[in-house]
Amino acid sequence: MPQPPKPVTNKPALIDGYRAPVNEQVAIWLRQMLVFVGISAIALPIAWITITAFKFPRDVYSLDTALIFTPTLENLQTVFDHPWNLGSKILNSFAVALGTVLLAIPMATMAAYAFSRFDFRFKQSIFMLVIASQFIPAAVVVLPYFLLFKQLGMLDTRSALVLINMSIVLPYAVWMMKGFIDAVPIEIEESAMVDGASRARVLWEIVVPAALPGIITAAVFSFTLTWNEFLFALIISKQDALTLPIGLIGFRTERGDLWELMAAGGILITAPMFLISLLVQKQFIQSLTAGSVR
Amino acid sequence: MTQISLRGLHKTFGTTQVVKDLNLDIAAQEFLVLLGPSGCGKTTTMRMVAGLEHATHGEISFNGQRVNEIPTQQRDVAMVFQNYGLYPHMTVAQNIAYPLKLRGIGSAERDAAVLRAAARVELEPYLHRHPRELSGGQRQRVALARSIVRTPKVFLMDEPLSNLDAKLRVAMRAEIKHLAHELQVTTIYVTHDQIEAMTLANRVAIMKDGVILQLASPEEIYNNPFNAYVAGFIGSPAMNLIPVHSDGAGLNAEDGTPIQAQAPRQGPLTLGIRAEDMQLCASSQANFSAAIYAFELLGDSTMATIKLGGASVVIKGDKHLRLQFGERVHVRFDAARLYWFDIDSGERVRPLGER
Repeated sequence: MPQPPKPVTNKPALIDGYRAPVNEQVAIWLRQMLVFVGISAIALPIAWITITAFKFPRDVYSLDTALIFTPTLENLQTVFDHPWNLGSKILNSFAVALGTVLLAIPMATMAAYAFSRFDFRFKQSIFMLVIASQFIPAAVVVLPYFLLFKQLGMLDTRSALVLINMSIVLPYAVWMMKGFIDAVPIEIEESAMVDGASRARVLWEIVVPAALPGIITAAVFSFTLTWNEFLFALIISKQDALTLPIGLIGFRTERGDLWELMAAGGILITAPMFLISLLVQKQFIQSLTAGSVR
Repeated sequence: MTQISLRGLHKTFGTTQVVKDLNLDIAAQEFLVLLGPSGCGKTTTMRMVAGLEHATHGEISFNGQRVNEIPTQQRDVAMVFQNYGLYPHMTVAQNIAYPLKLRGIGSAERDAAVLRAAARVELEPYLHRHPRELSGGQRQRVALARSIVRTPKVFLMDEPLSNLDAKLRVAMRAEIKHLAHELQVTTIYVTHDQIEAMTLANRVAIMKDGVILQLASPEEIYNNPFNAYVAGFIGSPAMNLIPVHSDGAGLNAEDGTPIQAQAPRQGPLTLGIRAEDMQLCASSQANFSAAIYAFELLGDSTMATIKLGGASVVIKGDKHLRLQFGERVHVRFDAARLYWFDIDSGERVRPLGER
């Protein structure tokens, strides 16, 4: 007589009749709780924002309507209207982030290549200096930046924000990409030079394609950092160059905090990042495991 | 048709002298092998010819023209690297075509040249694959094809076969030899494998500690090694080197075993003799006798190992020979096939007019 298939369980008892000792079971239970808490800490705020963005204001605070409510798309529409004008802020955020990445990544590539491949005096010290520039708290430099851009007449411009964001993003990007370029075997560069390629062609035709997963990773990281940047955008921009994170403060009004609109804005901030990370996930994983198969 | 000469070449990394006052002339179309253990400076020497390292002192010239200051890109050399150096993001065809692309050659001409080069090393079915989809031998052939797609002044090969398994190595060795013969381009080939050196080279330069010990044809190096080091490096198996002591009473091995031979001088010496220059014989004809330490069948021949003091002595025997561990054997040799070396310096002690 055919045996019924055994039910698949995720219990630790893999062998028939074997049960893990009690202390082991407790350890497993604790571990699962820890994972659950960790996931909740990350996922719950996002879930709350997503739900709230589709609520009428009257449903936001009520416990009765915490999960069951009449959904609406009104909030997502309202945030684009006067006085919120999130449309122009999305555009600004996008322009600043894209501008920063397009300038910073080629520069970081060249810098990282130099740090990775060339020998020059004080190389280690200069590299540490680049990284150390990020140890200075943003609050310390925000006033000098304000005065500087005021002098230059660049207050409330996207260019100013691009420049500031580059100063934040470049050290990280150089540091990340040095690692990726270090992993490119030197032989393929030497091979290209013997074949007749100049340094520049070696960099752009051999090293960059070989390190592309890493470069994309650094680009996405830089884009995210810039997209979410708050403090400098708050100080430097006033009206024309306002970015999305600054737009969110607008929902704290004299009438109180407009949570449903803030949540809708939150979705608009999160969604593009979410999409980008979905698109580049494959590359990202590849670069995280770079070198493990070579 | 490039003649290469290296004059007083030095290379120092930090405080380490890797190449010391190296002088070498390589004739046009010659296949020269730089042979030596790792760290002997052979790869560094080749990299200086390629322009990948700068010489600390000395001159490198192609056809009498100094090239020290000419960057790698303009030296017009082709190089095959130990781990192939293929471009991972390019297909086989793109890899082979890259040197031509860099020289601004049009795509039609390029494709034709790629096909010709690929055909030479039987790579046509793989042109659209990426290097990661190829086996080690196929990758090595891509690297070869890339180096022969144009006609460079010099071919440089840096241990091109050492990452391949033994069987493939033999096959690729023959391919390289055939290619070198067909293309008639001056070639420098670096290896630590003496069989590769013997089989491929017109001349072999044996290097140790940054200097060339001997520069000669494989045959000359085999038959007339400059010193005990070269003798022990070349040949498979390498020459037997037996520490002996000679006095008025005769010649003895370290363990006292008497050896019937005429030493060129008294005192301690190293006696060198090749495995194929000894035969097992009847006790009446023997030059010395000892017990079998190990016995191996090779198929086409046999190898009997005996011990004379600390030295293992390998004797090549007939393929039908069978011996037991510990069996006492008698060995004879032709006195004309003996080599004598100074026991400390390893230098040849030449008996009058002979070896």
